[in-house]
Amino acid sequence: MVKPPNIARSKIYILLTIMSWFALLFVDLVRIFGEINQMEGVIKREITWILEIIFFILLYLFFNNSINKKENSNFLNLIWRAASTGLIATGTSFLIIYFYYILQDTRLSDDPLLRNFFYHVNFALTAIFLISTALLWKHLILYQKNKAVVQQWQAYEVILLISMFFVLINQESFNYGFMFGLIFLIIYGVILSVNLKWIPYLTFREKWKSILFLAIIVFSTVYLLVQLVSYTQKNVHFVNLSENLFLLGLFAFVLIYAVFSFLVTLFNLPTSSVFEQKLTEAISFQKLSQSIQPGENEDQVLDILMDSCMSAAYVDAAWLDLHADEEDRRTGTVLYQKFISNGERQEIMDLLKKTEPFSAYLKSQTDARIEYLYGKISHEIFQSVLIMPVRANKKILGDMFLLKEVKDGFNKEMINIISTFVGQTSISIENYRLLNEAIKNERYREELEIAQRVQRSLLPSALHHNRCFEIDGFSAAADEVGGDYYETFRFDQDNFALIIGDVSGKGTSAAFNMSQMKGVFHSLVQLNFSPKVFLSKANSALSRCLEKNNFITTTYYTVNTKEKTIHFARAGHCPTLYFDKGNNTCRFLDIKGMGLGIVRNDTFDQYLEEGTMVYHPGDVMVMYTDGIVEAKNKNGEEFGYENLRLLLSSIYELPAHEIRIKIIEEVYSFVGKETLPDDDYSLLVIKFKA
Amino acid sequence: MLSINKASERDHLVIALNGEVDASNSVELDEVIQEAIAENAHKILLDGSELEYISSAGLGVFMSYLEDFNEKQVTFVIFGLNEKILNVFHILGLDQLISIKNTREEAEQALYEA
Repeated sequence: MVKPPNIARSKIYILLTIMSWFALLFVDLVRIFGEINQMEGVIKREITWILEIIFFILLYLFFNNSINKKENSNFLNLIWRAASTGLIATGTSFLIIYFYYILQDTRLSDDPLLRNFFYHVNFALTAIFLISTALLWKHLILYQKNKAVVQQWQAYEVILLISMFFVLINQESFNYGFMFGLIFLIIYGVILSVNLKWIPYLTFREKWKSILFLAIIVFSTVYLLVQLVSYTQKNVHFVNLSENLFLLGLFAFVLIYAVFSFLVTLFNLPTSSVFEQKLTEAISFQKLSQSIQPGENEDQVLDILMDSCMSAAYVDAAWLDLHADEEDRRTGTVLYQKFISNGERQEIMDLLKKTEPFSAYLKSQTDARIEYLYGKISHEIFQSVLIMPVRANKKILGDMFLLKEVKDGFNKEMINIISTFVGQTSISIENYRLLNEAIKNERYREELEIAQRVQRSLLPSALHHNRCFEIDGFSAAADEVGGDYYETFRFDQDNFALIIGDVSGKGTSAAFNMSQMKGVFHSLVQLNFSPKVFLSKANSALSRCLEKNNFITTTYYTVNTKEKTIHFARAGHCPTLYFDKGNNTCRFLDIKGMGLGIVRNDTFDQYLEEGTMVYHPGDVMVMYTDGIVEAKNKNGEEFGYENLRLLLSSIYELPAHEIRIKIIEEVYSFVGKETLPDDDYSLLVIKFKA
Repeated sequence: MLSINKASERDHLVIALNGEVDASNSVELDEVIQEAIAENAHKILLDGSELEYISSAGLGVFMSYLEDFNEKQVTFVIFGLNEKILNVFHILGLDQLISIKNTREEAEQALYEA
């Protein structure tokens, strides 16, 4: 609903209500005037009743509209509204009495028209009070409503509506029909009046106030009832508006609910402090359970813990002793010292260290199983002590010391609620730490992904070759990043360099060394050294930058497709597998060699050998890293050199690309799906064609 | 899974490796060798007969002490390696730098002749 039409509607209601009242007044005065002057049947009395019904309905609609708008006003305001309306109605009635007191002996005091005018004023105010109060009661009744209560109330509204029209059917007052209707309304009012769920939510002060307001309402209701009835008895010429089932039913309902509320509130007074305490505990609990936001620290939740525990158990003094923790900067500090001085705290600590059962715990602090320690001490002020360890991630974060001035100050319920608070705090802190850790890990993972991308880019996406040979490569890392490396270089149309390498270790450190290797390769390759010289220069360069226990194995090849020669030297790398088509043999090119970085001086080249060979079309050269031959299946068996050799012997006729795929497939199927590769796999296959 | 046993015999120290040396436990091996050097052992015998696997990180440990052995004139002899591991040493070229013998007797002989 948009607002503007709403405001307009309430104004229209006011206007219509006032108009209906004036119309009622006018009609009734004319009727009385006619009655006095014996002019029968000028206006039928039915018109009075219909106007009265219209007046009631408009009032009802107006208050329903205006009270619904103030949905969020609290109970005390609602009751005060009813009480103030009652006071106004009562006050006005007193004024009228006072007015007649002044007019006592004048003729005017006997004038039936004036008397009827005041009667109408009284009636209007009473109706306003009753209807508005009934609608306020509706609000209270429907607090924490369920379907049944809503239905009951709706039925009551329908009954009230019917009761308005009762007067049209049953024109004689106080006959059996009327009495039956009234008793029914009263019983229904009683049934509705048991809905008093709002009362426990009042604080102690609010309860006192509401008792006062309710008393005013009861008083006003009774007074107004008596007042209206007294009019009936006093006047000869009189239009009776109050002998209306609706009005009397409302009187009954308003009065019954007010009396019920009054009594229940009164009897709730002694227990209200307990209820308030429980409510505070629930709120504390909720505060504790709201996890700390990342970026904030844990102090806040510890502070809430202390306050909650202190208020829950009426604690006189407390402090929190955080244990020394190498990860935490607040080592062994005392936090949140409340209502106790440093001196007193020290005094009590010394005392506790001498008193069982605390002494054993405080001295060793190894027994992490203790949930709480409770006992008495002989101190001049404090008589009972509760020590509650606060845990997080299965470690004791610190101890909470709670002191009370009375003996046996902590009962089972208090200890229970405190340990619940402590448990909730632990969960909050754990969640907070886990969250922080998760964020940190997420960042590491991202970094690692970047490293992975960078490292991927270190491996060549295309390998140099010419029409004389095919070449195909593959590399997979066991971790996010790996230490395997291969690359090609083209000197000219017929001359190529190839390298394959494996950095010791795996993971990030291997990846860094691998990128160094790449740098070394690119600087040295351009100088076109022979393989042996190349490796000894590479050794000398890497010896300066590799860590003491790191080394790199590699094989370096130069290929001349014009002369069909291969020169190579092996720096501790797995021997190349070579298939010789002419002899139909498959063998490993095992020449002497030494890993780079193992011998870090000039003697290195004496451990090297250089191999030279002539290739023929159809020959296949397979370069690989140790991950391939050392790949283990779930029984711990290695793939091995012999398997690789036999495999190549059977697939040498395939193109280089397919040989590569076949070998990788075989290795993976050997390893099996259940075992994760624990080393990097790299493979480079060359097939000579011309 | 690696267990390392260190024992003194006559004039020499015997370090026996049992199991697999990989990146995760190569530090243990490193510590034992470092300890031996710190104790001024001049003759070290490494019993590899129960060694099942050694990764590049494990080889890196031996490699990193070669210089120290030379400097302090420590004789370091390995014996009892199985074929597979021997091949690993061989491929890397470490057999050119470290004395590797088949049996304990040969190893002890090499130790006391040097």
